[in-house]
Amino acid sequence: MTALLEVKDLHRSFGPVKAVDGASLTVDEGSVTALIGPNGSGKTTLFNLITGHLRPDGGSVRFGGADATTAGPAALHRRGLTRTFQQARIFPQLTVQENLVVASGFTWRELFGRRINPRDAEAAQRLLEEFRLAHVADLYAAELSYGQRKLLEFAAVLMSKPRLVLLDEPTAGVNPVLIETMEQHIRERNAAGITFLIVEHDMGFVMRLCDPVVVLDRGREIFVGTPAEVQQNPAVLDAYLGA
Amino acid sequence: MGAKAIGPARGAVFLLLVGSLPFVGVQHWVLNMLVFTLMYAAMSSAWNLVGGLAGYPSLGHAAFFGIGAYIEAIWFQHHSVVSGYEPFYLLPLVGIVGAVIGYPFALVAMRTRADVFAIVTITLLFVGQTLAFNLTGLTGGAQGLAIPPAPFSADSFERPYYLVLLLLLAIAMGVTWLTMRSKVGLSLSAVRADEDKAAAIGVHVGGVKMLTFCVSVGITAMVGGVWAAYESFIYPQFAFDPLITIGIVLMTFLGGRGTLWGPVLGAFVLELAQQYLAYTLGGNEYYLIAYALVFLVVMLLMPRGILPTLQARLRSRRRRRAMPDDPVAEPAPPPIGSAADYAVSIPAPNGSER
Repeated sequence: MTALLEVKDLHRSFGPVKAVDGASLTVDEGSVTALIGPNGSGKTTLFNLITGHLRPDGGSVRFGGADATTAGPAALHRRGLTRTFQQARIFPQLTVQENLVVASGFTWRELFGRRINPRDAEAAQRLLEEFRLAHVADLYAAELSYGQRKLLEFAAVLMSKPRLVLLDEPTAGVNPVLIETMEQHIRERNAAGITFLIVEHDMGFVMRLCDPVVVLDRGREIFVGTPAEVQQNPAVLDAYLGA
Repeated sequence: MGAKAIGPARGAVFLLLVGSLPFVGVQHWVLNMLVFTLMYAAMSSAWNLVGGLAGYPSLGHAAFFGIGAYIEAIWFQHHSVVSGYEPFYLLPLVGIVGAVIGYPFALVAMRTRADVFAIVTITLLFVGQTLAFNLTGLTGGAQGLAIPPAPFSADSFERPYYLVLLLLLAIAMGVTWLTMRSKVGLSLSAVRADEDKAAAIGVHVGGVKMLTFCVSVGITAMVGGVWAAYESFIYPQFAFDPLITIGIVLMTFLGGRGTLWGPVLGAFVLELAQQYLAYTLGGNEYYLIAYALVFLVVMLLMPRGILPTLQARLRSRRRRRAMPDDPVAEPAPPPIGSAADYAVSIPAPNGSER
């Protein structure tokens, strides 16, 4: 396997707080890599640095073999790197269907075409059926439940046919049935060739789905290994339980 | 959405009806009132592209009104008016110059959002007014500029201005309609809801914002051009008038931000009410109080504007009829143009998501 994403010695401080302090990690093409760590260990900041929502103070990010350290979210999206947010960020005033279409990425010429053309509708419909959201396609996204919003955001990032998807706590606040659904979707998409990097607190979910697991503590990685190795590693236990 | 199919038909009927008024013996004072109403309807429609669809509450649009007025006036210092129609021939140029001036301004101003954007844009209005007062060689300063009056017959003097303004209104509404039906409109909705997220999923955020702003202020400048020709004498304080900005924004909010007909409805209600009250309550300033009262009452009863409130009621009634057994309360459609609309568009400070 080749490295799709390489993060080297990344630094980012907020005032005196070193949120990310020399973190390095590699995400292999085709993997479902987990990023875990106690609260405040810098997971989301690392996500923001990788996806261009924040600029690093130092270090480098390479994506698909090319430098991506200073690229913004839009540029990275065009290169096939996309993400979801901890609090699902959907467009509440657009319908569920429109939320998908707007995320499909269009050219300048398409911009002046119809708001939803038959091809858009078909592509959206296929995803909505897969995610069991077809019955709410015409509702405003604001009318969806919390779990449905997370599913919608996940479905939306798939519209642009990404290479790497970063999921920020996909199961937080979601009921057990939906968690299972989410898991299944990630598996299927991974089998179809999409690479995942997932921040997650639900250890059962991580253990079932992810390999390898990267453990972050105080802004840098302290361990990388299989789920089983992570569970037995004293440094990891120490980080979680405190010394 | 069946409204889409009958949309153009409804628009055509409206334009034909309004367009026929000058030919059926409507009195001059009424036509004069309607000229101003059409002026505001066209500008509110144009403003709605930026303030409604994109969610950028510009308070600087009156600056482009003034720019358009001064382009006309300055041009006719050096050219003569023969048939009376020359000021209209100049309008496309006025629109283009307005849009070209708008571009670099938007490039800077649209880096800010919501309240900050409103403040930044209103500065342009005062910069324009100050320039008009002080570039005396070009604008005549406080003396103002005269455009030679058109030799139209007194019986139908308003008619050409009325029809050209109606055409500008038709253009503004046509552009709005096309925008809403295209992916430009879809992109603008995403920008209004969550601009950073929109950018991160590949929406051409900067492009659609610039495009919309330039088209919007271009139309506004053309309205200013017609106004200058109609008045045939312009002064800085009336060409660059904060009251114009306030009027445009109030009318759009009243009728319904982000809708096709809202700004037009708002303009017809408020402008006609204002003019009528000014006539009937006469020389004292009571009409301003009455004008504010009209606005307050509507905002109290329909805080989202007239059309969105009616649409929401219709939508929920239709749904209730569709599923009469559904015990679940109807969730309100998301407020377009409410305070919450602004809240989501305020950018999070960098790194707050840690």
